[in-house]
Amino acid sequence: MAKVLIVDDAAFMRMMLKNILMKGGHEVIGEAENGLDAIEKYKNLQPEVVTMDITMPVMEGIEAVRHIKEFDPNAKILMCSAMGQQLMIIQAIEAGAIDFIVKPFQEERVLESVRKVLSN
Amino acid sequence: METLEAVTDIILETLLTSVRQVIPVPAAAQIPEVFQNSVAQSDIGVLVGFTGDLYGRIVIQGPSEVFGKIGETMFGMPLEGEMLHSFVGELANMVAGNTSTLMSSKGQTIDITPPTVMVGHLQLYGIEQGISVTVHLENAGEINIILLTQH
Ligand SMILES: [Mg+2]
Repeated sequence: MAKVLIVDDAAFMRMMLKNILMKGGHEVIGEAENGLDAIEKYKNLQPEVVTMDITMPVMEGIEAVRHIKEFDPNAKILMCSAMGQQLMIIQAIEAGAIDFIVKPFQEERVLESVRKVLSN
Repeated sequence: METLEAVTDIILETLLTSVRQVIPVPAAAQIPEVFQNSVAQSDIGVLVGFTGDLYGRIVIQGPSEVFGKIGETMFGMPLEGEMLHSFVGELANMVAGNTSTLMSSKGQTIDITPPTVMVGHLQLYGIEQGISVTVHLENAGEINIILLTQH
C-alpha cells in the first residue's frame, strides 16, 4: 500500500486512476492538474508514489518530474501519458521517472507499475 | 520533400488508425470530405493542436450520447455532465497522443497540446481548409474526425 499523488489535467483520468489505485489498496492523498500544481502538492504532501501525465497546461509533466527530482532525488514517479513514442519515454526516464504507462491502459498494468516503482 | 497533400493523407490515415486503436469497437470510416472556411458543431467537440514537424489541429465531434457510450465501453461506467466533457477531452488526448506515437515511427516528430473541449452549438472560424471523416462506431453511433492542416 502506498500514498499516491495523481497528476493529470483531465478530471476523468484522475477519477479513473483513483478508482484503480483504491481497488489496489493504495491511498490517494492528493490530485494535481498541471505540473506546477504537482510540484507544490509533492512538497506539501510528500507522497510515496506519483502518477504523472505529460500533456498538461501551465507546465507539462516531464518538466515537473525534473523539478520534483531536484527537490527530492528519491521521488518515485511513474509516467502515465497518451504519447508513447521512444523519445518521450527516454526523456521521461532521463528526467527521473521510473516507469512509463501509455494511455489507454489496463487496470492491472497500473497496479503492476506502482509495485515496480515502489520496489525500485 | 513531400507535398502537404501527401503528408495530410498520411496523418489522416494515422489518425483513423489511432481512433481504431484507442476505441475498442468495430469502426467503419466513410469517404473523407474536404471543406473550407468553418466547422459547425451541434453538441460536443474537442480540439487538439499539434506542432513540431507538422502544424495543424484535430477536432473530434459528435452527440453526447455517442461519447457516453464510448466511455461506457472503454471504462465500464456511464458518464454525464462535467465528467463526460472531461472524458471527451481525454479521448482526444489519447487519439492525438497515439497519432503522435505512430507518426514518430514514420520519422515525423509531432507534439500535441492539451485538449480544448467545446460544448453546445457553435461555429469554428479561421479555417482555410479541412478534411472531415464520419466514423461509425458499432453500438455507439457516429462521430466526426476532422483534420485541419496549416500551410
Ligand atoms: Mg493530459
